[in-house]
Amino acid sequence: MTRILQRGIVFFLLSITLFAGRGLRAQDKPPVKIKASSISVAMIQSDEIKLPADFQVALYEYLIQQLQKKGGFEHVYREGDRNAADAADLVVLHSTVRGFKQGSERVRQLTTVAGATSIDIHCEFTSKDGKSLLERDIKGKVMFFGANLRATYNFAKKAAQVAHDNFSPTAGT
Amino acid sequence: MVLGVKRVLFAVLLLVLSPFILPSDAQQPAAPIKVDQITGLVGVKNKTKGTVTIENGNLRFAHGKTNVDLAAASMQDVVTGNDSQRLIHGTLGTLTMVAPYGSGRFLSLFRTKLETLTIKYRDADGGLHGAIFTMGVGKAEPLKKELVARGAHTSIPIQEDADKTSTKAPDAKEPKP
Repeated sequence: MTRILQRGIVFFLLSITLFAGRGLRAQDKPPVKIKASSISVAMIQSDEIKLPADFQVALYEYLIQQLQKKGGFEHVYREGDRNAADAADLVVLHSTVRGFKQGSERVRQLTTVAGATSIDIHCEFTSKDGKSLLERDIKGKVMFFGANLRATYNFAKKAAQVAHDNFSPTAGT
Repeated sequence: MVLGVKRVLFAVLLLVLSPFILPSDAQQPAAPIKVDQITGLVGVKNKTKGTVTIENGNLRFAHGKTNVDLAAASMQDVVTGNDSQRLIHGTLGTLTMVAPYGSGRFLSLFRTKLETLTIKYRDADGGLHGAIFTMGVGKAEPLKKELVARGAHTSIPIQEDADKTSTKAPDAKEPKP
């Protein structure tokens, strides 16, 4: 009798968990995607923060590589590319460095907890005519393994994911 | 009359001695420099080892049978920097991290100094690219100097120029009363 009661309670709890999970999932609406078939990436700006040239270039190049890989765009244009002028549904990505802390790979490997490198970047996606479509603050970090430049790769992956989640060539069709 | 003869003699002397004049360093093809291409060259994978030379006003990156040329005139900015890497790096370096008794951490103390060369350049369509190379100490600055001499631009003056301006600077200061 007690066994049946125990099983009943377990079944009841399981079913509650299951239904609650389904209910929560139903509330998570996927973000409405903006129609964009191509993107133009502007060079990373760091007027207020002093950023080493290799970090600036690495951010730009990794960003383009990641957008080509998983951004979901048909074309990824570089800053100044003349072909971008004729592109339909073009968005322009402007990135501005808001914070930069250059850590040390040696300190990271010696202490594990200190010496992290981090970059805070404000990303703004605009239309061709400069109208703001989406703004996000994205952080690039290297905490344990890898050289300092790995923070730029980490940022690029996150930025490409944001672009993938919010823009699509087939959205609104 | 005497002045005329002197001029003729001087011209003849110059003519005779001209074959003995050594060609300048700038005309000699520079020896290849071993580099690691971190990122940015079209058609080359990230973190590729190779060599760079300057030929016919181009920076040539060679890796196996692959050659990539960057025209010095297309370079908008050439900047050098300093960096360092673990003496034992790559996959082996990562594996040493789990070595027993903290020996991996001890090994990470040993590092080699590096120099970086960062180049921003434009392609035929006007698109902006960036390339990063790392190389041994003392090699980036001469390479930059040579690229600038061949038409590349730089936002940071070359070391010698910077030294000249810094030595001139104290002269510009007014003497204290």
